Amino acid sequence: MSATFDRQIRPIYDAIDTGSNKSAIVACNKLLKKQPKNDLVKALKALALVRSQKVEESLYLCDEVLASKPSDEATLSALSHVLRGLGRHLDIITMYDSAWKQQPSNEDLGAQTFSANARTGNWKSAQQVATKMHKLFKEERYLYWSIFCAVLQANDQTTQPALRPVLYKLAHRLISSAQTPSFFSADRFYVHLTILKELELWDDATALLSSEIGQSICNTNLTIDELRREIWRAKGDVKEEGERAQQRIREKDDRNWLEFLSVLDATFSDVTSTAEPSDEDKQACRHHVSKTKEFLAQIADKDGTQDRSGPLALLELEKRCVAHGLATDPDAIYTLAESYFERFGDKACCFEDLVPYIQFSGQHATRWTSLLEKQTSVANPEALRRAINALKLLRYNLTQELLTPELENARATQYVQYYLQGLAHGKNLPDTELQPSDDLAVLAGHAYTNLWKLTGDLSYLHRAVAILELASSKSKHSYVVRIMLIRIYHILGAPSLALEHYRLLNVKQVQTDTLSYLILSRASTFSLSSLGDLTYSSECMEASQIYLSNSTDTAEFVVRAFYAEKYSQIPDFVTLEDRLDNSLQRDLMKMEHVRMRLAHEPISSDLVDMELIELKFIFDRIHHDNRDFTVIPNHQPRDVPSFQEQTALFGKIPGSGWLASFLRFYIKAFQQASDLDDSVEDKLLIGDRPKPHVESAGNMSLDDRLAQRPKAELEELTRDEQALLEFSTALSEWLGPHHDYIRPPPSAVLAEAARQTELKLGHQPKGLTLPENGANGDVKKDCDPPVVQDPPEIALQFFDDMKERFTTALSGSVLLPELLHIVTLTQEASLIFTVETTRFKPAAVVKTHKLGPLVQSFKEIRTKASEALELMSTELAKLAKAEKDADRRTEFVGHWTKFEDSEITTEFLAGVAKKFTDARYQILDGVSKGAAKVSKTLTS
Amino acid sequence: MSVLRPFRATDLFKFNNINLDIWTETYGINFYLNYLARWPDLCCAQEAPNGRVMGYILGKAEGQNTEWHGHITALTVAPEYRRLGLARKMIDLLELVSDKTYRGYFVDLYVRCTNVVATGMYERLGYSVYRRVREYYGSLGMGRAAKDEEDAFDMRKPLSRDPGRRSVRANGREFIVSAHDVP
Repeated sequence: MSATFDRQIRPIYDAIDTGSNKSAIVACNKLLKKQPKNDLVKALKALALVRSQKVEESLYLCDEVLASKPSDEATLSALSHVLRGLGRHLDIITMYDSAWKQQPSNEDLGAQTFSANARTGNWKSAQQVATKMHKLFKEERYLYWSIFCAVLQANDQTTQPALRPVLYKLAHRLISSAQTPSFFSADRFYVHLTILKELELWDDATALLSSEIGQSICNTNLTIDELRREIWRAKGDVKEEGERAQQRIREKDDRNWLEFLSVLDATFSDVTSTAEPSDEDKQACRHHVSKTKEFLAQIADKDGTQDRSGPLALLELEKRCVAHGLATDPDAIYTLAESYFERFGDKACCFEDLVPYIQFSGQHATRWTSLLEKQTSVANPEALRRAINALKLLRYNLTQELLTPELENARATQYVQYYLQGLAHGKNLPDTELQPSDDLAVLAGHAYTNLWKLTGDLSYLHRAVAILELASSKSKHSYVVRIMLIRIYHILGAPSLALEHYRLLNVKQVQTDTLSYLILSRASTFSLSSLGDLTYSSECMEASQIYLSNSTDTAEFVVRAFYAEKYSQIPDFVTLEDRLDNSLQRDLMKMEHVRMRLAHEPISSDLVDMELIELKFIFDRIHHDNRDFTVIPNHQPRDVPSFQEQTALFGKIPGSGWLASFLRFYIKAFQQASDLDDSVEDKLLIGDRPKPHVESAGNMSLDDRLAQRPKAELEELTRDEQALLEFSTALSEWLGPHHDYIRPPPSAVLAEAARQTELKLGHQPKGLTLPENGANGDVKKDCDPPVVQDPPEIALQFFDDMKERFTTALSGSVLLPELLHIVTLTQEASLIFTVETTRFKPAAVVKTHKLGPLVQSFKEIRTKASEALELMSTELAKLAKAEKDADRRTEFVGHWTKFEDSEITTEFLAGVAKKFTDARYQILDGVSKGAAKVSKTLTS
Repeated sequence: MSVLRPFRATDLFKFNNINLDIWTETYGINFYLNYLARWPDLCCAQEAPNGRVMGYILGKAEGQNTEWHGHITALTVAPEYRRLGLARKMIDLLELVSDKTYRGYFVDLYVRCTNVVATGMYERLGYSVYRRVREYYGSLGMGRAAKDEEDAFDMRKPLSRDPGRRSVRANGREFIVSAHDVP
């Protein structure tokens, strides 16, 4: 590169780096006038173009440079960014491959070719590239790259199971050829052990691990030590491992719970290693048990309150004794639990520690209860923590006869009283700290929620809201309290308050994948997108950012881990990328977004085509459910449904079955409305297609798969959602033949696309050749037009049924969201109807194809839809008005008379009540207006 | 009782109970993957037997010559698992690895000057203030003691490679540097 050229090109790089794509394009054009053949400038221009969303132009330029087979690093690097922007990862591989072939001695090009393959998970080619690099450049690192790529290929979903052992054997052969031993680095050691483990070469693995250096690596590297444990377990040396663990516990004061588990596993190995243990086996095990008991008791004594491992291991030991019929002392577990509570009752996690061991009955249950009931003091922080644990433990063991509304009510009052008293200990804490008595408000919230479930009385949920709002105002950063509020506000029909609390949780980055379900699950029920309110749509967009950054970044770190030789991390990085890329929540959210988009935007071919392609991609994915439900607290008694189950909206959590069902009928509706068939889509689509999965639906065609209605999947739908699905299915069956007959042939669609692109670019696009007959869409069909059928019963009946459903629900005692659900689904049905019938709108189409009677029957359905929506809208408006009634707020405040002199002041309660009724007003009013608007557009 | 195990990339799906706490920052995926792709042995987590993550530590090795050391970037324990000595166990491991694997001279960490509880804990674990770094942190907006809140103590503990304790000093609290002067 000449100095002059360097001076000219620098500003282009700077402009691209700072995101000034426009000025970069201008600068490129200037340079291209002087040097029209310069590949680097063209590549940079393509990059600036793709970053300013000018995909077609960028594509053209990019293909032009690619065709010249560039090999200089700057051009290659610019192009690889362009191709990444276009989603054409496979072309990056081809590009580097061809560049490397031109300069085989260029190590960097080799490494780039390897990286491009590794980034896309193309392990087979990556392995071959690495092998070639090792031969050429003699670096041992490349040998390990190739070995580990073989391992990764073996573990890849798309690899046939039969090939697995072959690949591992290949990896083993390669690693045996290494010049330096694998313990040269911990991660090479990891690779070696992984292969030996898979091939069950136990002697080799033991030799490596027992060597001095092997042991020292295990001591300082948890990953290797974990692998060591797995190997020991797999080869069945449980006893040996148990002895080793005892030694570590005794001599090195290691208190890793894994060591205790090893000791316990070894203790019971005599009876667990055979299916039917003999009397001798049992005798041997008893002997072991008493030895271990002695050992653990010593540890427990030595540690005192310093560490919980000893006492808990004793509990676990007794539990396993009972399970194997080896218990000798019927009081043992009870005594241990009691002393555990004495010793660690003031630790916040005491409840969680004890839960697996306290299923007491008879006399033990009575003693346990009376012991815990004595812990009533909240006089100091330590006593408070003890009391909280006692109350949680008591609640956990409550039986049905103790769960009457009266008793539960008394408990709720007790929790609230203790909570209020406990606030004294947190008075002087800064805002950033959590109140020590928070968990009592959490317990109160649980009791009130359970009371609502027991009695159906909503006022209990109002009480839950009040006490939790108080707790939230005292502990501004308690996520547990906020999550409970989010759940309860949703069932009470105050979504804006749920959203407010969600936003205060400050959920960001990867957390949006695991937690956005808290507000986005069935969000279209609460969305006012039909009124142009994009709150939930933009929440979806924001939560989707993580998937974009995953697809650009995570693969990059796979490559970095290869360069840094941290092989142990690569499988997890690959899993992370896959789990985010194929996240169930991602696509549940996408589905919600499409539903909201439909209500917001005019239904155009752009919308239909784009969503059709995306939904089809999603339909072929194998999803991972990353949603974190464990953050939702649960302190309901063990025989009662969990708090999460009690507060699930409509009692149904949408999962992969829900998603598949919605995808099926949406894809079908969009397919019919769209002019794109598969052959057209193939030609127009830019970027790589997703990798096919080995186990995906075999040879079944997409149409057949869309027609399936597996029962298990339908069970995730509410009855109203099922009705929507049936409505939509009936519509598509009815109108399908007409769509297929009228839809322009692929050649015409392609010609039109080519024309459009040409208009934009000023020249013919590559790859899209115009058909010779200059199709104008009016190609004569060689079959007869389908006969117009009467509308199916389901389609005619749907809106009347929904009206009926709504009226019944209105007079019954249903939760507000259930009403909203009926209304928004009715609205959605009318929008799907519009999607299905838009093709038949133009008068010319109706005339040419003699569709008069068909279009006439549309009118009838449309009128029904419009009437239903109008009625619903009117009724919701009345409900909205009622929320403004002052009585509502007085009632809210009235529940708390007995706590008059506490922090629960009338003023505080009135404030909560006002926000609550305002939120309900807002959603009722909004959905009412939205439905009215949709109803109007139907008849206009 | 807790399981001490490596921190893994997939823990990003599991750490909500820790990261929803105000003191723990949730970074982009890049941040975690960068640590794991370079110093996986300095990153570990503690897990309860029921599978919940209780806390984690992320560390790195950096510096030139006698400044070569292990650094604690993030150390966090979920509120319900505090006061169980989990932090100490994770720090012990990080010190061990910094000493034996990386052969560093010391381990260091930064802590808000206002965080008296944490500073006290680190002192009990053998750390001492090496210097005070001006305006190292963003403000928490708590108003009181705003200056102290933004300043950090750089605390250090010498490892076996520094038997002469050259990496620490006695009067570190009075030794003040600006945030630009530290890496």
